[in-house]
Amino acid sequence: MVSIARKNLLEDLPRFLVAQAGIMFAVGLVAIQTGILNGFTRSTVRLIEDSEADLWVASEKIVHFELTEPLLTSQLEEAEQIPGVAVAEALLLGVGRWQTPQGQPDPLKIVGFDPQGQLFQPGYISEGTVNSLLQPYQVMVDRTRLTSLQAEGIGVNGTVNQLPARIAAITEDSQSIPASAFVFTSLDNANTYLTSSLSTKVNCQLQENDNLRCTKVYENSGAAAEVNPGTAPAILPLSQTDAITYILVKAQPQQDLTALKQKLEAALNETRVLTTAELSQITRQFWQTKTGVGWILGLGAAVGVVVGMVVVTQILYASVSDHLKEFGTLKAMGASNGLLYRIVMEQALWMAVLGYVPGMLLCVSISVFAAGQGIVILITPLTAAAALGLVVVMCLGSGALAIGKVIRLDPASVFKA
Amino acid sequence: MLIQQLSPQRNRNRTKAIAARDVRMVYQSRAERHQVLKGIDLEIPRGACHVLMGPSGSGKTTLVSILAGLLTPTAGQVFLLDREITQLSPRELTRFRREHLGFVFQGFNLFPALSAAENVEVAFNVKGIRGKAAVAGAQSLLDLVGLGDRRHYRPCDLSGGQKQRVAIARALVGEPEIIIADEPTAALDAQNGQAISQLLHHLAKEQGCTVLLVTHDPRLLKYADTVHYLEDGQIQPQDSSRARFYLNSVA
Repeated sequence: MVSIARKNLLEDLPRFLVAQAGIMFAVGLVAIQTGILNGFTRSTVRLIEDSEADLWVASEKIVHFELTEPLLTSQLEEAEQIPGVAVAEALLLGVGRWQTPQGQPDPLKIVGFDPQGQLFQPGYISEGTVNSLLQPYQVMVDRTRLTSLQAEGIGVNGTVNQLPARIAAITEDSQSIPASAFVFTSLDNANTYLTSSLSTKVNCQLQENDNLRCTKVYENSGAAAEVNPGTAPAILPLSQTDAITYILVKAQPQQDLTALKQKLEAALNETRVLTTAELSQITRQFWQTKTGVGWILGLGAAVGVVVGMVVVTQILYASVSDHLKEFGTLKAMGASNGLLYRIVMEQALWMAVLGYVPGMLLCVSISVFAAGQGIVILITPLTAAAALGLVVVMCLGSGALAIGKVIRLDPASVFKA
Repeated sequence: MLIQQLSPQRNRNRTKAIAARDVRMVYQSRAERHQVLKGIDLEIPRGACHVLMGPSGSGKTTLVSILAGLLTPTAGQVFLLDREITQLSPRELTRFRREHLGFVFQGFNLFPALSAAENVEVAFNVKGIRGKAAVAGAQSLLDLVGLGDRRHYRPCDLSGGQKQRVAIARALVGEPEIIIADEPTAALDAQNGQAISQLLHHLAKEQGCTVLLVTHDPRLLKYADTVHYLEDGQIQPQDSSRARFYLNSVA
């Protein structure tokens, strides 16, 4: 069958190229905006999803990965005793401040983990070794945050919470975009950074079940004196009464995770146990819906769709208007409305496909370039497929608007000169 | 060959190709009521070349639109091939036009983006014929109108006469029993106008089509088997003083 649609489309090449540019713009906005949103939210859950843990024991007041209340280290031992638990490891999160001798202070997120553990994976370690973190005051940072930390690489000395810190390893693909720079270190180092400037006292209360529940209370003892490596205080090993943030649990093989969750929640007071997927989900949801980020990026994508639709509608409408005489002739000859629909819709589909392919190639190129700059634009196959679907719907919608002119066309108009 | 399959004797049992009974057409606007056709009675027999003439504003375009089933009259009956088309639904009318009518227009109405052959193939597609059959049919019809060697030319590369030949080839797709040609020579020079007139006359005589020519052009009169003169919304007798005056003046 002669493709009137394709021929009409290519008849006026400059106009066709303008239309394709409009569609490429729409595809670009949708793919890049959703890619940034995906990259952003993916970065916030990277540490969760890269872990080997099946379950995460958190405070019952958890909001998302970085916003939760502490647990007691003693609960780690309790968790290890529960039948069905193969491995349990502590994770300690806290805030701090980084400073190099000549630089400005920079906020930090201190992440303490067991460097010899199995469950927590702090990204891909590209320089140095994870075991170097077992040494006092040795830390690891993500490569994308070296600039903000005013550090060139391994060997740079600075302070964390006014205690010495040496960058002993560099990791990649670990940093959450909205968070302060992650500084990974051992649990003991992290405990020292987070508690050294604080004085402590232990509060113990007799509970209804005659158990004694003890909590270590930290109070700021005032600004710590500047410390150099030679005079740094001894590392404070994590004790039973110290705070940790999560207990990562690996279940034994064939273990029913739902049942194990219930057992952990029953055994560990004031905790909420989440699967890795659940923790990832609430964290993603927080950043997408509780902050303006999702809305702003979604608005950008919507603007792309609207602009694309306006451009395609204008081009299709103009094309149909230019060929009204020919469409009228087809109607006079006995062409059904279905045939006329097919011609206009085929034209719309050609526009969608011919605009989508170069548009998506451009977006993928931009995402590759941006990745080199530390900006994550995550264009997944699902995003690409959704963008194609959206562009097709957008073009068919535009076609539907344009086709009204053809369907309403009076076939007798063909006799008017 | 498609054209060779045409039978000059087909449907000879139908005595009338086109008939109109007291056809009236009124255009009503807020400001005024304008009666364009004032009771047209017309009979056009099959298989010949018939001319409908009249001055500008006489109602020719309205009448031919009604006779072609493209416009519904305010009152009256229209019969094509003995079937009352004024009783047909829009869908039935579309199908009737597709199966029985061919059109030739003053402005050619060819798709500028398509080649001569593709413009004819589109008409085959409209009639449900696709692929090689449509390609071969288009080639046959372009050969018939003398444009076989111009099949790949786009309309912008053809002369006015050649464009009209492509339009006639397109009108012949599906062997229509009636061809309605609206001012087919108006956009052509004398030489091309005569060639097109001869072609349409030949189709009427040799292919058994009924050709209705709507025209101002007196050069077409010599190819007409019958002439119908329309003035002021009414068919005037050919020997009336108004018809004689008009025909003499245009001649």
